[in-house]
Amino acid sequence: MSRRSYLIRRALQAFVSLFIIATLLFFLFRAGLPDPTTALLAEGLSPEQREMVRRSFGLDQPLWQQYLLFLQNAVQGDFGFSFHYRAPVADIIWERLGNTMVLMLTAITIAYVIGVPLGAWLSWRRGTRADTTGIFVGLMFRSAPMFWTGMIGILVFGVMLGFLPTSGMRTLPYTATGFFDKIFTLDFLWHLALPAMIVALYYLGSPLLIMRNTMLEVYGEDFIEMARAKGLPERRILYNHAARNALLPVVTQLAVTIGLAAGGQVVVEVVFSWPGLGREILNAVRTSDFPLAQASFLVMAAFVITLNLLVDILYSTLDPRVSFK
Amino acid sequence: MILPSYFKSALAPLRFMLMDRLAVIGLAVLSLIVAMALAAPLLSTHDPRAVNEVEDASVLVRSGDAETGIVWRLENSLGDVAIQAADDDGTGNGIAVGREGTAYRYTVGEGWSGIETPVDADLNGVAMAADGKALAVGSGGTILHLDGEEWQAIEAPAPADLNAVAWLDAGSALIVGSGEEIWRLDLSPSPQVTEIDSPVGRGFPLYAVARDADGTMLAVGDRGLAIRYDPADGSAAMERLGTSRQLNGLHISPSGNALAVGERGTVVSRAGPEARWSEETVAEMRALRSGWVGDDGAAFAVGRNGTIIERAADGEAWQPASSESERHFRAVMAAGENVFALGSDRFVNRLAAPSADHWFGTDHLGRDLYSQNVHGSRIALLVGFLGALLVVLIGTNVGLIAGYFRGRTETVLMRTVDVMYGIPFEPFALILVLLFEPSLTIVILAVSLLTWRTVARLIRSQVLSLRERPFVKAARVAGASDLRIMYLHIFPNVMPLVFLELAIIVGVSIIAEATLSFLGLGPPQSISWGGILHNARLSGAWRTAWWWNLPPGFFIMTTVLSVFFISRSLELIANPRLRARQ
Amino acid sequence: MLLRKNILGLVATTTLVAAMATGALAQERVPAINIDTTTEAYDPIRYEAAYIIAEKWRELGLEVNVRPTEFSTLLGKFYDQQDFDAAIVGWSGRIDRLDPHFYLGTLDSRATSLGANNPGGYSNPKVDELFDAQAREFDTEARRDLVHELQETYVPDAPVIVLFYRDEVVAYNNTAFGEMNAMAGEGLYSEWTPMQAQPLTDRKTLRIGGPQEPDNLNPLASTSVWGWKWMRLYYDRLVRLTPDVEPMNWMAASVEAVDETTIDVTLREGLTFHDGEPVTAEDVAFTFGYYQAQDYAYFDAYLAPVDTVEATGDLTVRFNLKTPSASFANIALSQIPILPKHIWEAIENPGDLTPEQIPTVGSGPFKYASYNRGEIMSLEKNADHFQADDIAVDGVEFVIYADMEGVFTALQTQAIDMTAWRMEAGQIPLAESADHLSVVSVPDFGYYHMTYNTRRAPFDDVAVRRALTKAMDRERMVNVLLDGRGEVGTSVIAPVNAFWHNPFVETFDFDMEAAKAELEEAGYSWDSEGRLVK
Repeated sequence: MSRRSYLIRRALQAFVSLFIIATLLFFLFRAGLPDPTTALLAEGLSPEQREMVRRSFGLDQPLWQQYLLFLQNAVQGDFGFSFHYRAPVADIIWERLGNTMVLMLTAITIAYVIGVPLGAWLSWRRGTRADTTGIFVGLMFRSAPMFWTGMIGILVFGVMLGFLPTSGMRTLPYTATGFFDKIFTLDFLWHLALPAMIVALYYLGSPLLIMRNTMLEVYGEDFIEMARAKGLPERRILYNHAARNALLPVVTQLAVTIGLAAGGQVVVEVVFSWPGLGREILNAVRTSDFPLAQASFLVMAAFVITLNLLVDILYSTLDPRVSFK
Repeated sequence: MILPSYFKSALAPLRFMLMDRLAVIGLAVLSLIVAMALAAPLLSTHDPRAVNEVEDASVLVRSGDAETGIVWRLENSLGDVAIQAADDDGTGNGIAVGREGTAYRYTVGEGWSGIETPVDADLNGVAMAADGKALAVGSGGTILHLDGEEWQAIEAPAPADLNAVAWLDAGSALIVGSGEEIWRLDLSPSPQVTEIDSPVGRGFPLYAVARDADGTMLAVGDRGLAIRYDPADGSAAMERLGTSRQLNGLHISPSGNALAVGERGTVVSRAGPEARWSEETVAEMRALRSGWVGDDGAAFAVGRNGTIIERAADGEAWQPASSESERHFRAVMAAGENVFALGSDRFVNRLAAPSADHWFGTDHLGRDLYSQNVHGSRIALLVGFLGALLVVLIGTNVGLIAGYFRGRTETVLMRTVDVMYGIPFEPFALILVLLFEPSLTIVILAVSLLTWRTVARLIRSQVLSLRERPFVKAARVAGASDLRIMYLHIFPNVMPLVFLELAIIVGVSIIAEATLSFLGLGPPQSISWGGILHNARLSGAWRTAWWWNLPPGFFIMTTVLSVFFISRSLELIANPRLRARQ
Repeated sequence: MLLRKNILGLVATTTLVAAMATGALAQERVPAINIDTTTEAYDPIRYEAAYIIAEKWRELGLEVNVRPTEFSTLLGKFYDQQDFDAAIVGWSGRIDRLDPHFYLGTLDSRATSLGANNPGGYSNPKVDELFDAQAREFDTEARRDLVHELQETYVPDAPVIVLFYRDEVVAYNNTAFGEMNAMAGEGLYSEWTPMQAQPLTDRKTLRIGGPQEPDNLNPLASTSVWGWKWMRLYYDRLVRLTPDVEPMNWMAASVEAVDETTIDVTLREGLTFHDGEPVTAEDVAFTFGYYQAQDYAYFDAYLAPVDTVEATGDLTVRFNLKTPSASFANIALSQIPILPKHIWEAIENPGDLTPEQIPTVGSGPFKYASYNRGEIMSLEKNADHFQADDIAVDGVEFVIYADMEGVFTALQTQAIDMTAWRMEAGQIPLAESADHLSVVSVPDFGYYHMTYNTRRAPFDDVAVRRALTKAMDRERMVNVLLDGRGEVGTSVIAPVNAFWHNPFVETFDFDMEAAKAELEEAGYSWDSEGRLVK
C-alpha cells in the first residue's frame, strides 16, 4: 500500500470516528439528559408555555428529523443556536476554545522547554542524587491533583502573598475589542501566570521521564558507541547525537498532549475560574444545552483525532520501520 | 502446569522491586495507606459525618473602648451546660443560672463561682434584688428562692415550663411561662403562688418579664405578644409593641428606658416611660435572645450564632460587635463596669483550627476533618484498585484479541479505541452521573470506561510482535486452540506490561476519582479526599481554613506517588533494555 | 404429669405466638420513602437538609432514602413526571410574587396536571374556593382576609412544607456610594438602587458585580431573572413597584379601572425613546399585542387576563380584560416593558435574533451602552428621562465574574461597589471585618419547600404528613446550615410579606413526642423491629 493511500485511509477512518462520536452523543444527550426546558419550571412556567419554548428550540420535531438536521448543519460547520445563550454556538465555542488553548499551550510549552533538556541531563547523571531528586519531583507533581496544587497556589500566591490574582482571565471591568487585544496585555499575562504554572508543573513529569528513559535506551545504540569511539566529547554526544534520536517519543507525547488539551483540564478551569471550553461543556451538559454540548464534544474529539492522525503521519515520515498497513 | 508460568512471571517483578529503593519506599507507604483504609473506623476519633456541637457555660466580657476598638473576649468556661439567664443586683454583683440546675454567682473583685442548687431541672430565668436575694425559675414548675447561701424550693401550682421572673417589690415577684402562665409569687408570710388570667388565653409562650418604671409589670412572648400586669388592681391587659415577631428578652432601666428583643433581629425600644414603642433597624437578622438598656440609653443585645449588637445612646445606630464566636448567647448582664454575654446552648464547632480534640480541625459544619481524611482513603483505594482491575481486564483482553486475530476484529476494536480517545473525561463522567444516579459503581465505571483505551493499544502492539515469534508458531503447528495460544502462550509474555499498566492505572484512577468527587460527581454522603476539597471550595472558607485543604491533597499525592514508584520499577522489568542501562 | 404440663404450656405458647403473628400480619409496614433533593454541588443546603430530615424520620420507624439528583433532572421528576414521594425544591422570591396569587396558586387542585405548579396533588375544595375568591376580590382588605383564611385552611393539611426563608447577605462599598437600600427578595440589586445611590467620590458609575450572566438581552427571548433585572433599567414600564411594593405610576400618569374588566391608562406627556422618538399610546398597544402574538412564554401569566389593548388617543390606552383580575393593574403593568413600535414591528421572529441584531432602544432611566459577553454590561444615564434630575449616578455597570470568589475579591479591592447576589457563608465574616464594606441581611420571601406527593402512601394520609412535619427539625437547619441566617418556614406567604402573611397559622414546631402521638392517634403502631405499621 502506498503512503498516499495509507494517509487517505487514516483520514477516512478519523472522519468515521467523528461521525460515530457525533451520533453517539446526539442520542446519548437526548436519552440521558433532562428536557432542556425543565429549568424554566423554576420560573413558574405552565406546560403550554413550556411547549412554546420547546417549539422554539426545535424539540417538537421527531427525533430522526432533529438528527438529520443536526448532521446536515454540522457538516456545513453550523452548530445552531445555544438554548441557553440564544447565540450561535460556533461563536461561543471558538472564544472558549481560544481561552483554553492559550492556557494549555503556554503550560505545555513551559513543561516541554524545561522538561526535555532536564530529562536529557538526568539521563546523563543517572543513578546520582540529582537523578533521584529529579524523578521524585517530576513524579510528585504528576501525582498531585491539579485542583489541589491550584488551590494551594492561590492560597500562597494569591491570598497570603497577594501578588497574583486568584481567578479569571483579567482584571474586570475590562473591555476588550478583539481576541489579540485580550491576550497581549500585561494584565492577562499576570492572570495567566499561576494557572499556567500549575498545569506546567503537572505536565513536566512526562517529557522529563520520557526523555530520560529514551536517552538511556539510545545510549545502547551502536552509533553512540561509534561516536564515543571517535573520541567526541561526552556533552556533544549527549546533545548532538543521543538527544536528537531520543526526541521522537517526546514529540509523539507532545502531540497527544496537545490533542487532549482542547478538552482542557476542567478542574483547572474550575479552580481558576478560567472561561474555557472545559467549564463551558460542563455547564452545557448540566443545563441540557444540546447544541452547545454536542458541538463542544465534537470540537474536542476532532482535536484529539486530528492530532492522533498527525502523530501517525509523523511516525510514517520519521520512522521508516512503520509499514503502511 | 499452568500455575508456575503465571507464578514465575508474577514473582519476578517483586524481586526487582525489592532492589529499587524508591519502589521499596512506595510499597511501604502504600501498605501504610492500605492499613489506614482497613482500620479507618478504629483510627478515626469522631464520626466523620457527625456535626460536632458543644454546649458550654460560656462567658464573654466586653473590653476596650471606642478608640482602641471594642472586643468581646471569651473568658474561661464555667461548666459544660449552658447558662440561660442572668441578673444583677445593681451594685455590680450578679447571678447566672443555667441548664440542669446550675447557678453561678458573680462577685465584684472575685469573679465567677458556682453555687449549689437543690434541683436538676433546667433554670430559665433569674431575678436578683438589691439585697442579694434571688429567685430562679425553670422547667417543670421549678421555683427557687435564694436567701443568703441556700436555695429554697417553692411549690408550684402546676408543672409548667417557667421562662422568666422579675421582682415586683421586695416580697413579691411575677413569673411567666411557656403556656401563657402569669403567676404572682408572694413570699410572706409563706410563699404562695397566685395564677393571673391572661387577656389572650391561647397558650402562647411568654419569654420575658420586667418591672416598669411606674411599678407595673410587662411580659413579652410569642408573636410579639405583650401583657401588662398592674399590681394595684391585679389586672392584666394586652399591649402593642408594634411587632409580630417572637420576643425573647425584655429589659427596662430604672428610669424607664425599655428594650425588647426577639427573633429575626427584632429590636423594639422605648425612650423613657412616656415614650412610644418603636421598632429599630438592625443589620442583624438572626435571633436575639436578651437585651439590656441603661438609663443613659446605652444598650446591648445578644443572640444566636455569636450575635452581639450595641448602641452608644438612644437614637444612635446599632453596631455589630466583633466576638469571633459561634456561641449562642442567652443572656446579657451589665454588672457595674462589666458587661457580660452569657451562653451557650449547643453550638456548632465550625471551622475550628487543629486542636487536641480535632487533630485536623473541623469543617464548615463542625465535622471532624481528621476522621474524614482517614475514611477518605477507603474510596480512593477502592476505586483505585477496582477501577484499575477493570481497566486492565478490558484493555488487556481487547488488546490480546485485536492483536491476535487481526483483520476485521482488529479494525472494529481499534476504531472503538479511536472513538474512545475522542471523548473528554469529565464531561463524559457527568453525563454518566446524569444518566444513572451517582453511586460508587458509576464512579468506577466512569473512571474505567475511558481509560482502557491506552492499555488496549499498548497490549495490542506487544501482541503484534509476539504472535510472529517462533514459540507461538510452534504452538499453532502443534494444534493448540486460539484461546490456548492467547492466554497460555502470549499472555504470560505480556504480563510484565500488564503489571506495569495496572500500577500506572491505579494512580490514574485515584486521581480520576478525586477529580470527579472534586467536581461534586461522587456518590452522595461518601467521604473521599476529593470530596473534602469539594466541600472546602464550595463553602468559600478554604482561603482561611488551610487545615481543610492541605491534608486531603497531600494524601492523594502520597498515595499516587507511592504507586508511581512501584510502577517505575515494574517498567524496568517490562523493558529490559532500560534495565540494562540503569 | 410434668411432661403433660410442659406440652400444654408449649401449645399455649405456640398459639400465642401464632396469634401475635397474625395480628402483626394484619398490620402492614408503611412503605419506604424517598426524599429527592439537589446534589451537594448544586446546593449544599438543600442537600444537607434532606439528611437532617431523614435522620429524624428514621427515628419514627420509617425507611427513608435520600436521593440527591442533578437539578434539572430533579425538576423533571418533580414537575413533569410527578415521580417522587417527597421532594425538596424551592421558589425564588421574584418581586412580582409579593402579590400572593402566585404562591397560593401552588396549592390549587386545578394545577395538579403534569408539569403544573402543584405536583404534590394537594386538593382541598375550600382552598380552591378561597383561591378563586381572592383572585376576584378588588378590595385589598377583604382580599387580605381571604388570603389569611386560605393560609389557615391549608397549613393544617401539611401538603407543602416551607422549610425556611433564607436571608440574603449582600455587601456594598460604603466609601463609594451612599443611600444603598436593600429590598426584600431583591437584595441590593433592585431597580431602585441605581436611581437612589449617591456617589461619594468622583467615580459616579455604579459598579455591580455578580457571577450571573443573563442568558441574553432579548426582551422576547430572555427567560432568566438576570436578563430582566438588567433590562428593566433601560426598558421602562407603565407602573413600577416601590421598595415597599406599592404600585406607583411611572410611565403612566394615571391608571383607572373603568369597570371590572376595563382599565384606562394615560401616559405621561413628553416621554421619549432613547432614539428620540416619542412614546405614544400606539407603542403601548403594540407592545402588549406583540407579546401576545409571539412565542414567548415568560410573560404569559401576566398577559393571561388580557383580551385586547387599544390606543384610544395619543396618550391613552384601554385594556380590555377577559376576566376580572385583582393583580393585573399592580403586577402585570409593572412587569411588561414598553417596546418602540417603529423598531420591533418589522421583526417577525424576534426569538431568532443574534446578539448583535437585538434592538436595545427603550425609554427607561438608563440607556444601553455596551455588552461584552462574559465580561461587562454597561448603561449610561438617560438625561432626558423624567426622573433624570433625581438620579445621581452617571451610569451603571454590571461586571460578570466566574464565581462568587471573584466577586468577593473585587469587592475587597474596590473594583466593584456592590454584590448582585448573596455572598458565600465563608465570605460574610471577612466582609464584616472590612471597614469599607457594609454588610446587609435581607429576608427573602421565596422559600425552599418540601412537597409531599399526596397521591402516594403514606403521604395520602394527612396524619402522616402532619406527624412527619413535626418530626422535621427546621430550627436546626437554620442554625447549622444557614448559620442562623434565616427563619423557619410557616406559610407559603413569608413573614416579610407582612401584609399578606398570616402569623397565626399552625407552626409545627419540632417535637418527636407530638409526632409519635399524632401517628398513634391515627392508628399507627410500631412492630417488634421498631418499624411503623398500620
